[in-house]
Amino acid sequence: MSALVVDNIRKSFGEVETLKGIDISLESGEFLVLLGASGCGKSTLLNIIAGLAEPTGGDIRLNDRSLIGVHPKDRDIAMVFQSYALYPNLSVRRNIGFGLEMRKVPVAEREKAVAEAARLLQIEPLLDRRPSQLSGGQRQRVAIGRALVRNPKLFLFDEPLSNLDAKLRMEMRTELKRLHQMMKTTVVYVTHDQIEAMTLATRIAVMRNGQIEQLGTPEEIYNRPATLYVATFVGAPPMNILDVVATNNGLLVAGSDTVIPVPPSLLAGLPTGGSLKLGIRPESFRAEAGGLPLTLRCDVTELTGPELILSGSVGSQRLVATLPPRTRAPVGSDVTLSLDVEALHIFDGETGKRIN
Amino acid sequence: MSGTWITTRAWLLMLPLLIVMVAVIGWPLADTVQLSFTDAKLVGTSGSYVGFDNYVRLVSGNAFGRTLFTTTFFAVVVVTTEMVFGVLAALLLNQQFYGRTLLRALLILPWALPTVVNATLWRLIYNPEYGALNAALTQLGILDSYRSWLGEPGTALTALIVADCWKNFPLVAMIALAALQAVPRDVIAASYVDGASAFSRFRFVTLPYLAGPLMVALVLRTIEAFKVFDIVWVMTRGGPANSTRTMSILVYQEAFSFQRAGSGASLALIVTLIITVLAIAYGTAVKKVAGSAT
Repeated sequence: MSALVVDNIRKSFGEVETLKGIDISLESGEFLVLLGASGCGKSTLLNIIAGLAEPTGGDIRLNDRSLIGVHPKDRDIAMVFQSYALYPNLSVRRNIGFGLEMRKVPVAEREKAVAEAARLLQIEPLLDRRPSQLSGGQRQRVAIGRALVRNPKLFLFDEPLSNLDAKLRMEMRTELKRLHQMMKTTVVYVTHDQIEAMTLATRIAVMRNGQIEQLGTPEEIYNRPATLYVATFVGAPPMNILDVVATNNGLLVAGSDTVIPVPPSLLAGLPTGGSLKLGIRPESFRAEAGGLPLTLRCDVTELTGPELILSGSVGSQRLVATLPPRTRAPVGSDVTLSLDVEALHIFDGETGKRIN
Repeated sequence: MSGTWITTRAWLLMLPLLIVMVAVIGWPLADTVQLSFTDAKLVGTSGSYVGFDNYVRLVSGNAFGRTLFTTTFFAVVVVTTEMVFGVLAALLLNQQFYGRTLLRALLILPWALPTVVNATLWRLIYNPEYGALNAALTQLGILDSYRSWLGEPGTALTALIVADCWKNFPLVAMIALAALQAVPRDVIAASYVDGASAFSRFRFVTLPYLAGPLMVALVLRTIEAFKVFDIVWVMTRGGPANSTRTMSILVYQEAFSFQRAGSGASLALIVTLIITVLAIAYGTAVKKVAGSAT
């Protein structure tokens, strides 16, 4: 039985359709990340699951119970907000226990639950402070504590880490992963940060223009992106996209003489002469021979320490490759790199859909 | 640059303002204090020194006690009513509904009217012969015959309080509405998810954000209500039978109607003292509230 089912959810604001029929089904204990650029509808979807917005159409079911028309407080969910949304005049203790207080949970039981959450999040010394006396990271822990203490069936996170500085964000990311592994509660997590998505999720839904572009495990999203959009959205530096044409000898890079000699088995599935987009992740290039060769002109090299970032070009098209730091690549010279067939992502030039 | 020079320069820069303030506030105040210890009349001699006689006579007389009570009663009822209705109106106008912008604009109108205009309007409404209130109440069958709302000691003060609340609650409403718009939406959303009832949400989420601005409104309105003069003067002149006489009216009567400049000055100083004490007490409270809400 699926824990959470999002069934053809639609949402319109006047003429504008922000969600165009979203379908998601989650098993209990899954960690789903809704990933997308701002304005793609991911926060709207989260608010609909939370009950803070009503959908125009469709159904949401949590453990087989429809949530449509159910008040947020009766949905058995807890939510963590980007701005923390703590109650400024209540102590940390009362902030965490507020949900229980409102549900008239006996004081002793409430105290015990708050203490337990505080222990898990290591904020015991802060319990008697006001939110204004806390740092950003501490506030976020309190906000998570407030969600945790309710022991809900579903956790919702709305970009919880985006107000933290880079170092703290990494710490809290690990912390969240640890908490999820321990609590095993179902989570829906909204972010525009692909690293958060890749590291935290058991499944990722990449959203764009109110639709799901691809729903899959982080490995699937990364290794077999279903569309050109997913391919370029996930990965840093982003995937190289080359305009290519399928010929009898292989893939001809448009605007050059370079042909990538792909195996006939792959070529057979491609429309000959049609315009195609070839995606290659920068990290799939290898310096040593042994795969499909691709010669490019080296324009700029940047040594970051662990790797060498090579910016080059094939004809008029630009490419980026990340290579081991000791690779010899003199600026201005031609460098031949090699690729595995599995590293080639071929998309339809018109629709952007994956072909291979 | 030495510290002394910075201090000196600061004083130099403030000097023009200081001179003006001493001239328009300090000197008249000193003059009033001096006058309050004399039996000076409004016209004629400058009077002779009588010590605390004016103060003793005023405070022991029965007009003072009764007027202080009337004023305090007026201030407490008016300010409480305005705060309650102001906040309720703000909560209402903070909801999403059709025509909200128009209603918000209309709300400010009573407050934007000059007090004298408002007072004249209410006098028309209360008019014993052709007033709208009498007409409405008799036509609804609540009242048998027309009454003189401002002419009876039993109703005049209430009628005055209604008129003042009508004029001033929009100010509180506007301050509260501005404060409501500063309540973060996420915090409200969080209270929904946490299962707070409408009352709990107001008590624990909204009110803390309202407290600081409302405290300022409270201070302003209390001080204004305590020294109220114009609306009373236009509507009842303190009557009937002194039932609507406030401290400011009493000062006016003493100084100008009875032409006793000396004891008028004493009375004015007493009112000033009471308001100063109120202002200081409130000022401390504002700091406390503002400190806890952020």
